[in-house]
Amino acid sequence: MKSISLYVDRESFVHDVDPITKLIYILFAILVPIILPSFTVSFICVGISLLLILAAGVFRKTLPIFGFVFLVLITVVIIQGLFRPENETVLFQIGPFAMYQEGLHYALKITLRVVNIVGAFMILVLTTKPSHLVESLVRKGMSPRIGYVIVSVFQIIPEMMASMSTITDAQRSRGMETEGNLLVRIKAFLPLLGPVVLGSLINTKERAMALEVRGFNSRTPKTYLNVEKTYAYSKGIQALLLLLIVGAVAWRIFL
Amino acid sequence: MIKVSNLSFSYHKAEGPVLSGINLEFDRRSTAIIGQNGAGKTTFVKLLKGLLKPDEGDILIQNHSVKLKTAAELARTVGLVFQNPNDQIFKRTVLEEAMFGLLNIKMGRHTAENQAIKALKLVNLDDKLEMNPHDLSLSEKKLLCIASIVAMDPDIIILDEPTIAQDHAGKKIISQIIKELAEKEKLVMTIIHDMDFVAENFERTIVFNEGKVLLDGETRDVFAQKDILQEANVEAPGITQLAEKLGFEHTILTVEEFIKAVK
Repeated sequence: MKSISLYVDRESFVHDVDPITKLIYILFAILVPIILPSFTVSFICVGISLLLILAAGVFRKTLPIFGFVFLVLITVVIIQGLFRPENETVLFQIGPFAMYQEGLHYALKITLRVVNIVGAFMILVLTTKPSHLVESLVRKGMSPRIGYVIVSVFQIIPEMMASMSTITDAQRSRGMETEGNLLVRIKAFLPLLGPVVLGSLINTKERAMALEVRGFNSRTPKTYLNVEKTYAYSKGIQALLLLLIVGAVAWRIFL
Repeated sequence: MIKVSNLSFSYHKAEGPVLSGINLEFDRRSTAIIGQNGAGKTTFVKLLKGLLKPDEGDILIQNHSVKLKTAAELARTVGLVFQNPNDQIFKRTVLEEAMFGLLNIKMGRHTAENQAIKALKLVNLDDKLEMNPHDLSLSEKKLLCIASIVAMDPDIIILDEPTIAQDHAGKKIISQIIKELAEKEKLVMTIIHDMDFVAENFERTIVFNEGKVLLDGETRDVFAQKDILQEANVEAPGITQLAEKLGFEHTILTVEEFIKAVK
């Protein structure tokens, strides 16, 4: 079934690692640079994320996302560089505008944080199927109902888009003009929403009945369609990551 | 009426063509298009209807290229009844649903209402004019969709899987409509998996397989070619197969023919 996700189907050790370990990695990548706010630590974390993305063979897919993120970050750099209250040392001058060292320093910190968080999430999103992620969370004790809601969102949106285009086709077939200028398009689009929404409501009712027939609300423990994906070193990696987080805290407190 | 020359089409360039090198001409004979799922039948009729544009080749409908027209402009000439009635049903009452296309092609309200009621009579829905179409049964919904296209009076009518969810009475109504349209010199085409219905109602049959035309001819001749049909994973109607196994000399298409031959 079609599903919206950025998941890239590849073979790599990053893909093999279970989703829970990837979640712990995200935690690690966010927490450690906050606990130890030095540039070196941030750079190391960004470096690790980039290496993992490269190893998974999904680097190309991250470019548009990083592109968008950088667009936002450039404004941060400009605003902080020009207007941060602590600004004292002028670094260079562009026409009437002076860029200050303190502001740029701060902007670099923010940039690294953001890139770091986005990178860590990207590893999870690009190398894990949403359904696998949800399944592992359910195995860890998340309610299967919530799991179902999450998975179905990924599926219902493309389904609605597909039914929108079939309904549009059906009405075009009966002489409704949908091609042309913006006004024609808007006029055509609005009445089409009715059947799409109504259709998905009808589907929801049927879906609910189909689920109930298959014992969705039954209280017996659920079984899983897929065999649990276990990666030989998961436990080791998880322990190491948690240890590093604890280590970072200890470092911060005692040294 | 329709001339298809060297038609090719693909949804995604990488996945290869869905249809390739199709050359066909359609006259007024009622025509059934059969073939396995994924053979390209629905894609083909969507191209005829202008919902998709060909990658290569051209389609001429009454000597006008479909490439130059929008699907909406083609609505007067070509009517397409979709497979799933829920995709088509759109309005709050049966009557409005049947009038929708007519109003789109700029027909006056009064005439549109008369035409719509006439078409609804054909499918025995004229006693349910004020009902919400979503309260109809699936088979009634399908008949309503057929009526709403027939009401527009196009020269070419394409039915995508008309017999799904129809009982014997429903099939009889559809069969009757096909006959009446043929009498009015309209071209009726269908995509269908119900071979008995094809044998009983369509003069010409085209077999699609993997995006190409495998067989094309009089329905009787097509169902006689057992080996080629097998290649397309299509089976002749039960009665045709029975007659063949019993060693009948001619290809039998309907139960009536079978009984006549036995007598």
